[in-house]
Amino acid sequence: MKIVVIVRQTPDTEAKITANSSGNGIDENELKWILNPFDEFAVEEAVKIKEETGAEVVVLGIGPDRTLETIRTAMAMGGDSAIHIKDESFGSTDSYATAKLIAYKIKAMGDVDLILAGKKWIDEESGQVPIQVAAELDIPQATIATKVDVNEAAKTVKVQSEIEGGQRILELNFPALVTCERGLNEPRYASLPGIMKAKKKPLEEVTLDSIGLEELGLTKENLGIGGSRYSVDNIDIPVINRSLNVLKGGSSDMVEASEVQAAAENLTKLLREEAKII
Amino acid sequence: MSEIWVLVDTTADGKIRNVTFEVLTAAAKLKEKNSATVAAVYLGESAGSIEAELGKYGADKVYKIESPALKDFNPSAYASALSEVIKKYNPDIILGGNTMQNQDFLPRVSAKTSGGLVLDAVDVDISASSTLAIKRYRYSGKSISGMTFHDIKPMMATIRPNAFKAIEKSGAAEVVSESPEVPSQENVKILETKLVPKDRPELTEADKIVSGGRGVASTENFKLIFDIADSIGAGAGASRAAVDSGYVPYEMQVGQTGKVVAPNLYIAVGISGSVQHYAGMGSSKVIVAINKDPDAPIFQKCDYGICGDLFEVLPALTEEFKKLT
Repeated sequence: MKIVVIVRQTPDTEAKITANSSGNGIDENELKWILNPFDEFAVEEAVKIKEETGAEVVVLGIGPDRTLETIRTAMAMGGDSAIHIKDESFGSTDSYATAKLIAYKIKAMGDVDLILAGKKWIDEESGQVPIQVAAELDIPQATIATKVDVNEAAKTVKVQSEIEGGQRILELNFPALVTCERGLNEPRYASLPGIMKAKKKPLEEVTLDSIGLEELGLTKENLGIGGSRYSVDNIDIPVINRSLNVLKGGSSDMVEASEVQAAAENLTKLLREEAKII
Repeated sequence: MSEIWVLVDTTADGKIRNVTFEVLTAAAKLKEKNSATVAAVYLGESAGSIEAELGKYGADKVYKIESPALKDFNPSAYASALSEVIKKYNPDIILGGNTMQNQDFLPRVSAKTSGGLVLDAVDVDISASSTLAIKRYRYSGKSISGMTFHDIKPMMATIRPNAFKAIEKSGAAEVVSESPEVPSQENVKILETKLVPKDRPELTEADKIVSGGRGVASTENFKLIFDIADSIGAGAGASRAAVDSGYVPYEMQVGQTGKVVAPNLYIAVGISGSVQHYAGMGSSKVIVAINKDPDAPIFQKCDYGICGDLFEVLPALTEEFKKLT
């Protein structure tokens, strides 16, 4: 069987985000990039299935040149080969057009049984692209998976999916798309030898020229902002502006045991009378 | 006349979720600018008489999209049914709560109708070019972006619970019934649904939340968090440190790699207040911190706080909260 894992490169969770000079994007200087944390669960699951069944794992990433590093991380974890859809004009491409391009490439591969992805991209704070890919391919989906069982002979996958207020167990026929949640597995680290080996694994670089954009209802000129359904007008970095009314002790910063009752009464009064919140 | 649709979200037992009324209030804000008709849209097996309640919150119209095939939620089936009705009525704007269900099937509607979709908006408006404009957090709550839709219908957005306050008006809604053909979903079977009865409000919709961090120090001690949460009807959450230490399950985690919440009151107990945690709760209206470390970053990101031992402060505060009526 063949598995495609969709990977996304996101700024490190510790990264400080600032706006760029045009004010509608982020300043990428000195930004550290990582494999989207939820994608780690997808890569790990794919590699686990590979270890059990001998499946082939193809890593698919979309984005500018720097994305290659993230793709290599996923290959170092155990991916067999990779596809990098790249073009600098993708920078402002929205989820609608991004999904069309990914779906196009997966369709062209022809024999994909399972597509795995993270449940959310932490930079865009959205999990919609993989679902749009499933819709473009007209295949079933199971999102926010905390358990995945592949039955290669039956060509099905059984998934425990988190839903509002509980879980449900779904059985999907191949080809199917599953998005992965924390708790599904413990992602392995990409070892240094693994990273060295990843550099020698097959990599297909796909540029816009090699994609039949017209078929997708997109044009080269129309990618980026033009092909998108919306554009970003501005990015603001919210300033934390809170009242910082912290009750402290009489003789030190910490409220002593003898002062706790008064502090509790005081805080309750503030929340009721000043904040009017309880 | 152009229409703004609001998706009706219901609980497992068929009650309309409060976020639906909040989104109707958001739609009313848009209506003031473009005089559109606000229509609530129900998808499911059988709507019942929901129109009175929806009308009260500003729906001029209620579309009841009903089919036995919509009994259990299936994203393909729901997307197919909604897309059919969208093609028939061509609404300008479609809004819904940022619920798990809407996040699950609206991307498929986007692909089917070629309309754009933005998730988790915290504000909506009509742009200078008469399209939908929204504000949403990106980069893990570290930035807020203004985004304007291009003139391609439908323009779709989900709205973060608690971003708008539901305002009751008076009014009655006209009912339109639709029963689109839903293709059978042979490639997916629902084998089992396990709903866990919840003692407390869902984090993503809760009006108040109390969360515990590493400082709570054990699973047993989390009883203190649950007790104070129950005294004010709050949801109970946790920081990543508390989840990673195994005190409580991941579903309680608030933060960048957990749930993003925006309650009116967020009480952080024994939580240092990392950037990643703040990313998940920074849009809360009032933040209260209880921590014994005067240098904890949370004290630079809160409205109120007590610098003290949580094991002394929580029991006293719980008793004070219980006295409130």
